[in-house]
Amino acid sequence: MDLTPSTEQDMLVAATADWCRENMPLEQARARPPHLWGELEAMGWTGMTAPGMDLDHASEALVFAELGRHLAPVALLATAVAARWSPHAGPAALALLDNHVPGGSLRVLDPHGAVQALGVLGHLAAVTPLPADLGGEPGLDLSVPIVHLDPAPPFEALPDPRAALHLQLLAAAYALGCADAARDMAAGYAQVREQFDRPIGWFQALKHICADMAVRCAAARSQLYYAACAVDADTPDAAFHIAAARQLADQAAIDNGRANVQVHGGIGMTDEAYPHLCLKRAHLLSFVAPARRQTLLGEAA
Amino acid sequence: MDILFSTEEHRFREQCRDWLHANVPAERRPMDAAEAIEFDKAWQRRLFDAGWAGINWPVEYGGRGLSIVQQVIWLEEYARAHAPWIGANFVGINHGGPTLILNASEAQKEYHLPRILRGEAIWCQGFSEPGAGSDLAGIRTRARIEGDELVVSGTKIWTSFAHVADWQELVVRTEEGSQRHKGLSWVICSMHAPGIEVRPIRKMSGQVEFAQVFYDDVRVPLANVVGGLGNGWKVAMSTLSFERGTGFIADQVKQSQEIEELLERARATGAIRDDRIADQLAQLRAEVAALRAMTYRNISEVVRTGQPGPEASVIRLFTSELGQRLERMTLLLAGEAILDFRYGEDDLVADYLRGFAATIAGGTAQIQRDIIAERLLGLPKSR
Ligand SMILES: Cc1cc2nc3c(=O)[nH]c(=O)nc-3n(C[C@H](O)[C@H](O)[C@H](O)COP(=O)(O)OP(=O)(O)OC[C@H]3O[C@@H](n4cnc5c(N)ncnc54)[C@H](O)[C@@H]3O)c2cc1C
Repeated sequence: MDLTPSTEQDMLVAATADWCRENMPLEQARARPPHLWGELEAMGWTGMTAPGMDLDHASEALVFAELGRHLAPVALLATAVAARWSPHAGPAALALLDNHVPGGSLRVLDPHGAVQALGVLGHLAAVTPLPADLGGEPGLDLSVPIVHLDPAPPFEALPDPRAALHLQLLAAAYALGCADAARDMAAGYAQVREQFDRPIGWFQALKHICADMAVRCAAARSQLYYAACAVDADTPDAAFHIAAARQLADQAAIDNGRANVQVHGGIGMTDEAYPHLCLKRAHLLSFVAPARRQTLLGEAA
Repeated sequence: MDILFSTEEHRFREQCRDWLHANVPAERRPMDAAEAIEFDKAWQRRLFDAGWAGINWPVEYGGRGLSIVQQVIWLEEYARAHAPWIGANFVGINHGGPTLILNASEAQKEYHLPRILRGEAIWCQGFSEPGAGSDLAGIRTRARIEGDELVVSGTKIWTSFAHVADWQELVVRTEEGSQRHKGLSWVICSMHAPGIEVRPIRKMSGQVEFAQVFYDDVRVPLANVVGGLGNGWKVAMSTLSFERGTGFIADQVKQSQEIEELLERARATGAIRDDRIADQLAQLRAEVAALRAMTYRNISEVVRTGQPGPEASVIRLFTSELGQRLERMTLLLAGEAILDFRYGEDDLVADYLRGFAATIAGGTAQIQRDIIAERLLGLPKSR
């Protein structure tokens, strides 16, 4: 047993973080430039999960947590899963199949340039080819265009249940990254903002808010590592551990997103400050392959 | 102790209900900022003409002079009738006006109070600064005296309605080199005065509802100082205590309506069959009931002793956090549809995002907790 990243994994994380800071800063997450996707492809982030790359899930989780910390495009999640499991090749948009009401319209996230859409339906991932140039309008998370497909096209279920688990794991990593970003932003601000002639982080009330943010991240991160290793070891309870990681990461992302606004005070409520970017992303991610209660309770579906 | 209203109070309730039923506009407050202001002004004028403006203002200043129990009844009926939000008249009616009533000269009152009541003058509140938020005594905006004028320079921030206001309740440092609470003055400043620049600030909901205001040698007549030079802190605090006294009643009434609407929606959509949602709604309904009981208790205290008890600060915190729990419940019930939120649109997502203000504006939740611990429980002061 060893739940710490290896030296190579640490290097991978550092390289990812460096690249993201340079090329995909969180501060620009309200709208991503069109050329970003090409750069992500060139860096290999879209293909790192393809069969034959032989990257373990733990390494994937580490990398996706970094990407998530910089509020990377959510199409990366769908594309990474599609690269391994879909019969179609090419970028995938994220289809919110979980709560889709049959007959109603279907929300597809980040459709620009996608040739297919991927989502999770029950225990299985499912895909459908997409026509080119679907368009899409930014919604709550300004960096994520959404298109409504009405009627929803038929989706083809991918028979291997590991595809759905894969999406859940990567989404958990994204949410954890988002929670990390909010924590660091809050702690950073608490050190520099002064009221009553001292940094606001001096006040215990604020210290404790920040500490709670760190606790949520630590719990979610540990469980994410455990879950990723459970998939790599192919243990029978891997589905449960992924669901647990997903659940905790979601909670951490939303609670930290909210706390970060509070720590910033008035400026935290503004469009020009960055806390809302994390908060909105957290709410969006909570709809992407969320943990199922039955799985968490260990009940067979 | 007794929860029943008297016969006269019942009769008063009917009076409120009848008038509101006949007068509440059918159309919603417009989205467009300029149109919204006209709407607010027209509604205020209608209230005024019928004698309902300034329900808590003394009759001698044109108000309705309702007893606090009658205020509650009015506000309950007001919410029940879905009467319009007070909007841009908020500061004038709830802050500026009451401060003038308590502290201003007869001439100041005579000029400003009727204009506020009739909805002719919009006010804003210039207290907070970039460096003075929770620490309000850190105010740096200065005013030097030149003849019979004050010359103001500096900046205020988070000023709600600044971009539409005619007047501002402005707290400035009039004594050079003074520290903290000393040497401040509360002045009436025209927002149309030369040297004022308003830079609107967009909220994370997309709305532009507050602004940063810059003062570049803005001239204000000395006659506009309220409560005397150097007494600004005392004057400002009289507004705040007013706000902390009865200001929460409107929120309480709104929340008791919100929970019923949430419940209706959960029943209509079938979401109520989800135990987790049913549990949370049940909890919220209990909390809303308790909030009303707390409010009634506090009001009874006012009736008996003439001022709100120290529990007013508890109610303030409880209301603001309960409001946020209700907003989260609204989000939960809306589900994935929240993702379609259009920036700047006025919907439940905007309400959720704006709702963060409840634990920030006018004293953050952390400051409120300090107040409760120190003033109510007698714990050692940390500042
Ligand atoms: C929507 C909105 C409308 C507003 N409208 C107006 C207006 O019309 N006029 C006006 O004058 N102002 C207005 N304000 C300003 C408001 O009063 C301030 O935002 C508030 O007082 C907090 O100040 P700040 O934003 O500078 O935050 P800060 O004081 O910098 O606080 C940042 C964080 O530090 C914490 N903190 C600070 N001091 C302490 C302490 N001693 N102990 C523990 N924690 C502490 C706070 O709780 C907060 O979490 C408005 C604000 C908002 C959000």
